Amino acid sequence: MLSRVAESLFWMSRYVERAENTARFLDVNFNLLLDLNRITTVETPDCWIALILVTSDREKFDSLYGQYGAETVTDYLVFNRNNPNSIISCIGLARENARSVIESISSEMWEQINNLYHYLQTVTPQSVQNDPFSFYREIKNASHLFQGITDSTFPRNEGWDFVQIAKYLERADNAARLIDVKYHMLETSHAGHGDVVSGSVDILQWMAVLKSCSALEAFRKVYFARIKPQSILEFLILDRTFPRSINFSVCAAKDALWRLSGGSAGRSFNSADRLIGKMEAELSYTTMDDIASKGLHSYLAGLEQGIMDVGEQTHLTYFAYHTPEIEPVEEGLRTTFSGNGGKRAEWSQAQQQQQQAYCR
Amino acid sequence: MKRFFDNYDADASRFFDELVAREGGPRPHYEKLLRRFAMFSQEDVKTRREMTNIFFRSQGITFTVYGLEEGIERIFPFDLIPRVIPAAEWALIERGLAQRIAALNLFLYDIYHTQNILRDKVIPAELILGSQHFRREFVGVTPPQGIYIHVAGSDIIRDGEGRYLVLEDNLRTPSGVSYMLQNRQAMKRAFPVLFSQYKVRPVEDYPQELLRTLQEVSPPLQREPNVVVLTPGIYNSAYFEHSFLARQMGVELTEGRDLVVNDNVVYKRTTRGLERVDVIYRRVDDAYLDPLCFRPDSKLGVAGLINAYRKGNVTLANAIGTGIADDKVIYSFVPKMIKYYLGEDPVLENVPTWLPGTPSDMKYILEHLDELVVKSANESGGYGMLIGPESTAQEQEQFRELIVANPRNYIAQPTISLSRHPSLLNDSEMYGCHIDLRPYVLTGKKTTIVPGGLTRVALKRGSLVVNSSQGGGSKDTWVVDE
Repeated sequence: MLSRVAESLFWMSRYVERAENTARFLDVNFNLLLDLNRITTVETPDCWIALILVTSDREKFDSLYGQYGAETVTDYLVFNRNNPNSIISCIGLARENARSVIESISSEMWEQINNLYHYLQTVTPQSVQNDPFSFYREIKNASHLFQGITDSTFPRNEGWDFVQIAKYLERADNAARLIDVKYHMLETSHAGHGDVVSGSVDILQWMAVLKSCSALEAFRKVYFARIKPQSILEFLILDRTFPRSINFSVCAAKDALWRLSGGSAGRSFNSADRLIGKMEAELSYTTMDDIASKGLHSYLAGLEQGIMDVGEQTHLTYFAYHTPEIEPVEEGLRTTFSGNGGKRAEWSQAQQQQQQAYCR
Repeated sequence: MKRFFDNYDADASRFFDELVAREGGPRPHYEKLLRRFAMFSQEDVKTRREMTNIFFRSQGITFTVYGLEEGIERIFPFDLIPRVIPAAEWALIERGLAQRIAALNLFLYDIYHTQNILRDKVIPAELILGSQHFRREFVGVTPPQGIYIHVAGSDIIRDGEGRYLVLEDNLRTPSGVSYMLQNRQAMKRAFPVLFSQYKVRPVEDYPQELLRTLQEVSPPLQREPNVVVLTPGIYNSAYFEHSFLARQMGVELTEGRDLVVNDNVVYKRTTRGLERVDVIYRRVDDAYLDPLCFRPDSKLGVAGLINAYRKGNVTLANAIGTGIADDKVIYSFVPKMIKYYLGEDPVLENVPTWLPGTPSDMKYILEHLDELVVKSANESGGYGMLIGPESTAQEQEQFRELIVANPRNYIAQPTISLSRHPSLLNDSEMYGCHIDLRPYVLTGKKTTIVPGGLTRVALKRGSLVVNSSQGGGSKDTWVVDE
């Protein structure tokens, strides 16, 4: 498979998953704020800051908007085309990637992503404000439909593996960030109050975290009605059966990476194999006590870094356009991979014009 | 009940109508079609129209209109009434095209080698050597088996008497063949009964024939040649076609950045490392192929590709430098080429052409601007032309200045009223629209012409311009055995 095709499949999948996760965050936040009666109170914008923190975009947000509130945060995360992680940007980029490998995906996959793109062009900030739930449900469903169509129409070849790697890395990354941010917020709001996780507000917050991972019901089946933060963390990080937990996602990404290279336990062919195997093993044999002794934040930060490293090694192993034996890469020109930005090079206007230049 | 062809006005005294003979009455090869359509109600046709629309939309068969901002992808308009060409007429077209492309290949070989045709003054040397499409760097370079034009798409029209004439040759990267294939699919679905009543020769094997042709012209190898399609990218208006053909042939669709040249060998970058490439069906113009050789600002090409080509390590289809042969000025010499190289009379004639470079022609052109069609020698897609009878005095004046300033860059031809064919406008009204025909000629070890081609139709009342960029559409073309 051409490296470019593999990379486009990877980013197509990753951007769809990212858009879905953003929709989940926003959806749950709206719900939560209704419970807390804070939706119009601009003076307590903590809940909105969290969403910006999840995407590590605080600086960019601050430079564009004056304050944190439903309107500005929604605008930034849904509609802002200058924000490469906004839903509209993600779907645009996913479609662009799909379009460039249209001969490698099924036409049903293309139609679904194309429909979603066109649907988004018709959505206005006003309509989202009037009915946020329908809008976010629409995005989530569209992503699920895309993934389902992929599942039932895409051949199980290399391309499939890249689609899976991208989806699960993105999902694991999002879960880690979400937990990290919520935990951080609760901790600071309780600074000096002793017990971190008691009052009913906190329970609501933690339920919100579960909901944004569609995990509330699954959680209840495992831990029954008692919503204890420790159990929630255990479920979201370490559970091996729930498809949005970090452990599950890392495990699925590992399967795909190993399938790709023919690697197996104790036998890795490249750094991506090795790193993902290491992460998976660690998650499998970690307990909540281990995490507590390391500190939740630093544990999650380690996971996030690990996911980014796997992404980078996947890039170097399978996509890197520079073939060192042929083209020595000048220092400074090296294309760096970043977990958030590493999209394919945007077509410059000159390139577009050249592509259009000749046709008869 | 009103039937579809009841009110059809062939206007056969002014035009050559494909359906109705001048003596009155339908031509025999259209009788079955008329009988079938007589059984259709408005509703039947509407249903079929919807079927084809859904088919084209879901296949994503779109083209791009440049100069429009958003919503640039459009469905190529499709006319439901098929064009029927009897086998005997097709035999003539086939013979004529094979002869023409053979002569053009010999011509290209000649001017990139000994240039006998210039020495013998059959074509003025300055027309060749002064052309921007003559690639002097490639004199002496011989592509495998001496073939330059692997894929040709010549445009054929019929004049007022119904004679088939060649209007122009597209010898660089002719497009449209995917529409030929998709139109056939759509017609089979929408009119299965009518289709089965005719013995329509199949076109479906075009992708296989193309692949075979490309494999045949690969550099000599001990293994199966590795073929790829090279596209400028997703913004090219024919991107759909590039990806369609790659898929149909089962080969990789590549962009310039997927390829890399090392030690004069071309490779593609894959997830498993580099893989050698032997034949490139390129849909990128010469000028963008290699920034080291042609335009240094090209973002679409592959650095070093041309050296690999010179070394004979990779075949480019079509070869470099074919643009000189589809220059519209050179076009006017093709009948002479056929005589010169093959010693034969052309089977298909050219449209009469005046060259402003010749003083007597220049005089005639300037005196008859209001009657002639003036075309720029190197533009395509219906751009840069003057249609005399439809032009204003101001436009004529503008072209007068252009022609005088740069006579080499223009040609003039009589305004030919292209033949007309009934077409469905608004699903209810049958109207005679002007058409042309673009068959596709493949040349490898032998010449293959898939029976049929793309019939383009000017879907505006009275319009003579069939280009998709100018409101044209297409219809399926049935070559039928009687």
